[in-house]
Amino acid sequence: MAEAITINTDIIKQRLDFLKGARMKMWLDICAHCGLCAESCFFYQAHDKDPKMVPSYKIKKTIWELYKRKGNVDKEFMEQVYEIAFAECTACRRCSMYCPFGIDMATMIASTRAICRSQNLTPEGLQKAIENIWKEGNQMGMTKEEFVETCQWMEEENQAELPGLKIPIDKQGANMMYTVNAREPMFYPQDIGMAATIFHVAGEDWTMPSVGWDCTNLAMFAGDAKCMAHAVKLVYDAAKRLGVKRIGVTECGHAYRSLRFEGPYWLGLPGGQPPIPVIHSVQLFAEYLRDGRIKIDPAKKLKEPVTYQDPCNISRNGGLCDEARYIISHIATDFREMQPNREHNYCCGGGGGYIPMGPPFKKRRMASGKVKAEQIKATGAKIAIVPCHNCYDQIRDLNKEYNLGIEVKAFKEILTEIMIIPDELKAKGTEAA
Amino acid sequence: MPTVEYKGKVYEVDEDGFLAGGLEVWEEDWVDYVKTIEGIPEVTDEHWVCIKFLQDYYKKNGIAPPVRTFSKTVGKPLKRIYELFPSGPGKGACKMAGLPKPTGCV
Repeated sequence: MAEAITINTDIIKQRLDFLKGARMKMWLDICAHCGLCAESCFFYQAHDKDPKMVPSYKIKKTIWELYKRKGNVDKEFMEQVYEIAFAECTACRRCSMYCPFGIDMATMIASTRAICRSQNLTPEGLQKAIENIWKEGNQMGMTKEEFVETCQWMEEENQAELPGLKIPIDKQGANMMYTVNAREPMFYPQDIGMAATIFHVAGEDWTMPSVGWDCTNLAMFAGDAKCMAHAVKLVYDAAKRLGVKRIGVTECGHAYRSLRFEGPYWLGLPGGQPPIPVIHSVQLFAEYLRDGRIKIDPAKKLKEPVTYQDPCNISRNGGLCDEARYIISHIATDFREMQPNREHNYCCGGGGGYIPMGPPFKKRRMASGKVKAEQIKATGAKIAIVPCHNCYDQIRDLNKEYNLGIEVKAFKEILTEIMIIPDELKAKGTEAA
Repeated sequence: MPTVEYKGKVYEVDEDGFLAGGLEVWEEDWVDYVKTIEGIPEVTDEHWVCIKFLQDYYKKNGIAPPVRTFSKTVGKPLKRIYELFPSGPGKGACKMAGLPKPTGCV
């Protein structure tokens, strides 16, 4: 958040008018204060049922009040709005699902964040990511050369075991263009190596673009309409330029939500559909298993108790509950569902940009994660499978904070460990005896 | 601002445990402290090569390096970097070197 904030009420009014479509008008009018949203919210649960954490209260104290005052608010008021919109809601949409009137409170909080953005009230971590997106087309400001070289490096490292493995960059007409979270080439390049290994074994015809490879969208969490549309367009444009049949998304939740569902609306695309179909890794891996393109070594199936984190943007907001469980049925023998689960699952407590907002939010993030920690503990699982980078880091942090004693793993980590590598793909001298 | 105490010294840290004052207040005892919380048995010359590189890169560029640049410059494969810094290059190595927590989804 910038140091010196001056509030421009004219701009707030403009933003409020712009956001006041038919749905917003109805939502503002229709809330009956029934309180059914209270129990649905993990912030409310994690904070001993503090009434200030009831979703409808958070709406009342932010966007509802902004409309009531017609934008005539001061700095102190906006700072309070900022705290609620960024630190007391992750826009997980669980309350939206439980509201008997279907009021989409998560969207209302997202709109509130957009108003904060118009007043330069943006968490520093998201602000830097936005600058990086404009500068280099990805949230971490990696140059094209650095990205391409990282992929080549991972190709070489993985060729030691799989001599034919390639990480094709800018290949025209491939079946799939795979996109990643900038954290992967920047700090976790082994993730790209794992994905490449799975694609190689599955015989996938794939590529990665040298520009438009970052599928994430931290601008969406900051409510920056121009930048979030720009980030999505970079990926769509890359897919069109390369003439691929579909866009694959790494194990990241919000990337899928923005590219698959939100992006087309930001860009005004007809029918609300992406120009080229978008597929999440969970769907992709389920497909490979279904079609026998990758096979699991039965002897290596996970024997320890396993649980699964349904990321909000993959399960509740993405509808991929069955696909995830289909993969799990192939890889684990003792699967234990969290309660509740699927579309009813709780947010990890670190979504909606909470992690990339940076260190000033860590303590609150750990406090709000209490519900998730208790859910995981109750399963008795030793491994949590987590196909979203954000949930992944949050649950790893919770693991330390709450002494959960679990291992946190993405699907690709498990698949590369236990799938069968056909002998003909292996380096000479390493084939099975 | 939270603080941590080590060998009678007090360091201000951010909520993720990164050194709040950055390179200006960084000193060798901080490395010893991070060693204890990161579960690193001993800080060796190999760690020091990495720490010095990260600090020089940060002074020049104002950002942590991509791990490829890191690995290539210090002449160590990725696997070795993870052996040296179990929390990885972004969280473990940067913390020890006194850099701020990297920006973005980390």
